[in-house]
Amino acid sequence: MSFLDSIAAGLALVGNIESFLALFAGVAIGVIGGAIPGMSATMAVALTLPFTFAMQPITGILLLLGVYKGGIFGGSIPAILIKTPGTPASSATILDGYPMAEKGEAGRALGMALWASCTADVISNLSLILFAGWLASFALSFGPPEFFTLILFSLTIIAGVSGESLLRGALSALLGLLLATIGLDLVYGTNRFTFGDPNMMGGLNFIAVLIGLFAIPEILAMVWNPTAHVGKARSLGKNWVSFAEYRRSFKSIVRGSFIGVFLGSIPGIGAAPSAFLSYSEARRTSKNKENFGKGEIEGVAAAEAGNNGVAGATLIPLLALGVPGDVITAIIIGAFMIHGLQPGPMMFILNVDIIYGLFIGLIVSSVFLFLIGSVAIRGFKYVADIPKRILIPAVLVLCIYGVFAVNNNIFDVGVMFVMGWVGYLMVRYHIPAAPFLIAFILGPLLEDNFRQSMLMSGSDPMILLRGPITWFFWTLTVLTVIAIARAGVRAVRGAAVLSGDLDD
Amino acid sequence: MTQRQVQMRLGTGALLVAIFLIIYAIPQWVSSPSNVGNIILSPLFWPYALAGFTGLAGLGLIFSGVRMAPDGPRVDAPCDTPGLAWLRLAGMAAIMVVTMVLLPRLGMVLTCMLVFLASAFLVRTRHPVTAVVCAVIIPLVLYAFFAHIAGVAIPQGEILRLP
Repeated sequence: MSFLDSIAAGLALVGNIESFLALFAGVAIGVIGGAIPGMSATMAVALTLPFTFAMQPITGILLLLGVYKGGIFGGSIPAILIKTPGTPASSATILDGYPMAEKGEAGRALGMALWASCTADVISNLSLILFAGWLASFALSFGPPEFFTLILFSLTIIAGVSGESLLRGALSALLGLLLATIGLDLVYGTNRFTFGDPNMMGGLNFIAVLIGLFAIPEILAMVWNPTAHVGKARSLGKNWVSFAEYRRSFKSIVRGSFIGVFLGSIPGIGAAPSAFLSYSEARRTSKNKENFGKGEIEGVAAAEAGNNGVAGATLIPLLALGVPGDVITAIIIGAFMIHGLQPGPMMFILNVDIIYGLFIGLIVSSVFLFLIGSVAIRGFKYVADIPKRILIPAVLVLCIYGVFAVNNNIFDVGVMFVMGWVGYLMVRYHIPAAPFLIAFILGPLLEDNFRQSMLMSGSDPMILLRGPITWFFWTLTVLTVIAIARAGVRAVRGAAVLSGDLDD
Repeated sequence: MTQRQVQMRLGTGALLVAIFLIIYAIPQWVSSPSNVGNIILSPLFWPYALAGFTGLAGLGLIFSGVRMAPDGPRVDAPCDTPGLAWLRLAGMAAIMVVTMVLLPRLGMVLTCMLVFLASAFLVRTRHPVTAVVCAVIIPLVLYAFFAHIAGVAIPQGEILRLP
């Protein structure tokens, strides 16, 4: 199928009012969800997922992608107006956004955040379109040993960079892998931790684990401290961003977008490091570097470009390799699976219409983001006024309905509650949840590819080193572990020296 | 709780989980056919390998915890009244247990109405009337969507049967 044929097939699939309506609704839900402090883009995507079961695959996935895109931008609104990032990725936006709001220039900061977000979004989507197909064609030559080493590398980097320490991330990933062993054995069909219960034989339901890990802990945190997330919203002020200011910040926006694209395409790094790196690069190269941290509009632009640049790029490993780049794409992979689709290189051959339909939808989502974002900036006051102590019980009820709807099974609701407490314990003990969830999803794939490799080679482990691709991933894995371990040792030494100095 | 305490508790917990898995849980709850020629292909191999790595991660956490300064800053979630907060958490746990008991008996809609009310009053909502209204409307709207649009068979109890 030629490129033009693929685009035509994609257009035929999404060229209807239903798809665009879903995308529009998704962006709106995402912006609102991201803007509510205490919710997050992740929770918004997780809670929207059950509503996609009844939809066509493309419509449901577009809805979720809209929520994702909207959620990332929405997080910047409370970051600027009440100094509370709606998503972790918006933390860098506070650095200059909130000082601007204090000076009565919140409208200007939010306007720049929107323009930078949309520009970064377009660049990120174009990068996805350019690189995903190329990477997928390369990945077509992967066999089980190559996939095993790729997934191992992805898990290593996710465990290493998504928390405060490599060991806690590794523990989180190992627990996720252990949980994924529940059910019937993949090769022999024997029981593993099923306790004779038929509900356990198919393994734990992914949606129940996901919503349990990401929505219920927020509810429990609210129960622990019901007055958290209470902040006073600043007024928007009379000044709005001008085209001259956008042009002045354009270099930082483009740089931040490419930083986002690069970091987003590596599984596990996510939007927050990208936003901070983009911000620090903008500060290093700016003529107004002394204003950074005091309300510099270029700082807002760089931070927002950094975090939105990630949004399209995280779909590169998802679509091309079937490996989720972050937690939200892990949820989206769940949506693909529910609709009987398996993301990965074969999807570029078997479901090319869906792939190009998604590309078209993503481009359109940038336009929707601009339109909805402009309205959301002015409407934030109403979102901020939603009483959290009403919102949280509503989220709980939504979780119960959503999880039940997956399999029509009350057992799954129990799994969600149990996983919610596990997730809450993880939050309290500073264990990152992302490696747990991604390991839970990739666990069966990792084990399956490992055992297939062993079957292929007659149990000779040397098959895992059979060619340049496996060597490449092993090298990356070892380098990642060394780099993260060295950073950890330095941090511990630094803390020890600091506490020694304080003692003296 | 300091960083050191977090690290030590996590390490000890991981080590205990690994020992429990290796000594009791895997031999007891993972079955393998007797004719598997190679241990690598056995259904037991993957759980044993993961339990081993969990133990190693636990040891690593304990080792790094020992090297941390004993009097670091506290990292607990802030709360003004920890006693009440623990009570509220226990209340939430009770709501979840009761939900599981009531769901097959009262049905999804009535149970969710009660769950909504109980959790809203547990977090001491300042809008009791809104809470009651939302407690009735939200489960009904969700029922309408899932039962009539998504085609999900939402469980109905003996007391309330909805169309």
